[in-house]
Amino acid sequence: MPLNKDSLPNTFLVATTLCLTCALIVSAASVTLRPLQLENAQRDRRNNILQVSGFTPEEIKEDGGIKKVFESRFDVEIIDLDTGADAQVECQDAMNKAKDKEVNLGEEYDQLWASKLNPEKGLSEKLDKKADLCGIKSREKYSEVFIMKSLEGKPELYVFPVRGNGLWSLMQGYLAVKPDFQTVVGLTFYQQAETPGLGGEVQNPDWKALWKDKKIYDDGEVKLAVIKGNKAGNDYGVDALSGATITSNGVTNMIDFWMGSKGFGPYIEKMKNEDSSNTNAAAGGNNVK
Amino acid sequence: MSSKTSAKDLVLDPIFNNNPIALQILGICSALAVTTKLSTSLTMSFAVIAVTACSSAAVALIKDRIPSSIRIIVQMTIIASFVILVDQVLKAYAFQLSKELSVFVGLIITNCIVMGRAEGFAMKNSVSDSFFDGLGNGLGYSIILMVVGFFRELFGSGTLFGFTVFTKQSAGGWYEPNGLMLLSPSAFFIIGIFIWVLRTWKPEQVEEA
Repeated sequence: MPLNKDSLPNTFLVATTLCLTCALIVSAASVTLRPLQLENAQRDRRNNILQVSGFTPEEIKEDGGIKKVFESRFDVEIIDLDTGADAQVECQDAMNKAKDKEVNLGEEYDQLWASKLNPEKGLSEKLDKKADLCGIKSREKYSEVFIMKSLEGKPELYVFPVRGNGLWSLMQGYLAVKPDFQTVVGLTFYQQAETPGLGGEVQNPDWKALWKDKKIYDDGEVKLAVIKGNKAGNDYGVDALSGATITSNGVTNMIDFWMGSKGFGPYIEKMKNEDSSNTNAAAGGNNVK
Repeated sequence: MSSKTSAKDLVLDPIFNNNPIALQILGICSALAVTTKLSTSLTMSFAVIAVTACSSAAVALIKDRIPSSIRIIVQMTIIASFVILVDQVLKAYAFQLSKELSVFVGLIITNCIVMGRAEGFAMKNSVSDSFFDGLGNGLGYSIILMVVGFFRELFGSGTLFGFTVFTKQSAGGWYEPNGLMLLSPSAFFIIGIFIWVLRTWKPEQVEEA
């Protein structure tokens, strides 16, 4: 070979060619596989939403798969967490600005990503120490709410995305509640890295089943908690995971935060008010104040 | 190692005779992290086999052109590219498993076995030999992962590949799971016992004190 392989030109040549080739391969793989990966992630989230709402895997299969069941039964709303009002338009504007292109909200709105942005972008806000019950530091301004409708279009249950820190990891999950915003239907986590066998048992179906029919609020305050040695029949307590005190407390704090005034509290308040004014109107009641 | 080794020896040798973890004590870190369950151990094994085999072959292919001053970085770049490739493929086709493995697929880049084979073998040998050597070392790594994963999942959770073998007390059975098995230190014990058994069987692997 005429060119000395240790010479400076050859060093540059090899380095440049190698980098270009590798970059090309990696980006090609990333671009071609991206749609598949996004679809996987979305299917995974929807699957969790369906499961927390009480669909069994068999039912989902029978009814034509995750996508079909989800799209036929669920409405996705985007709300402003501070006011509880519908904020589809505001969120769309802020996202378009943040990403500098026309964003498809249904597919591309990632709340965790949004919550970590600079608050100036209008998608997140910092939490002060006192309000930050579950250690997430900042919170997104807009959140998705998934509403399962009956075939007649009446809301049957609401699914809220929730998250909080456990011992090692950020636990991300969904909490499903009945339209009375008092009775829990289920809680599930789609992402956590707690100690397998101890805190990781938050994923255990037996433990998750304990959440069904628990009550959330007592006199306007969040009372539902994970309690060590919970007495049978206590509607406000779920038995703690043994050997996983910090994970258990993390779950309690998470419920406390997301059901409280900094979480979905305002939305729940608003929905309850609307509901009662609707029933009053239907009953011919006069609710002009 | 003799200059002319058959492909079969190259593949089989690292499994028991020259096992990268048991004899060379390389790549232990990930052997602790991903072995709480057999399914993740298996996925990790495939990922590492693919990366060692392909990157060794790729390094061997261009070994005559690599300037010695930047050879480590060149190897690193090749390895990193393959790792990203594997990670992307897993995310697209085995989403659930790639979620459980989380960062550990990416951390194959830092697995000393891959780098060790690229620098120690592929830089001096032909493409096909390097490929088989990478394959063999990947397999050697995998066998440890599978053994450790087997014991940790069986005694830690009472299951194998997710199927119940011992019914846990919490599910109404008799088995009280061993919590230590689910924590990283247990992998050290199992690897230690594995090395002990291996060296009793093959005393020539015992190092001079």
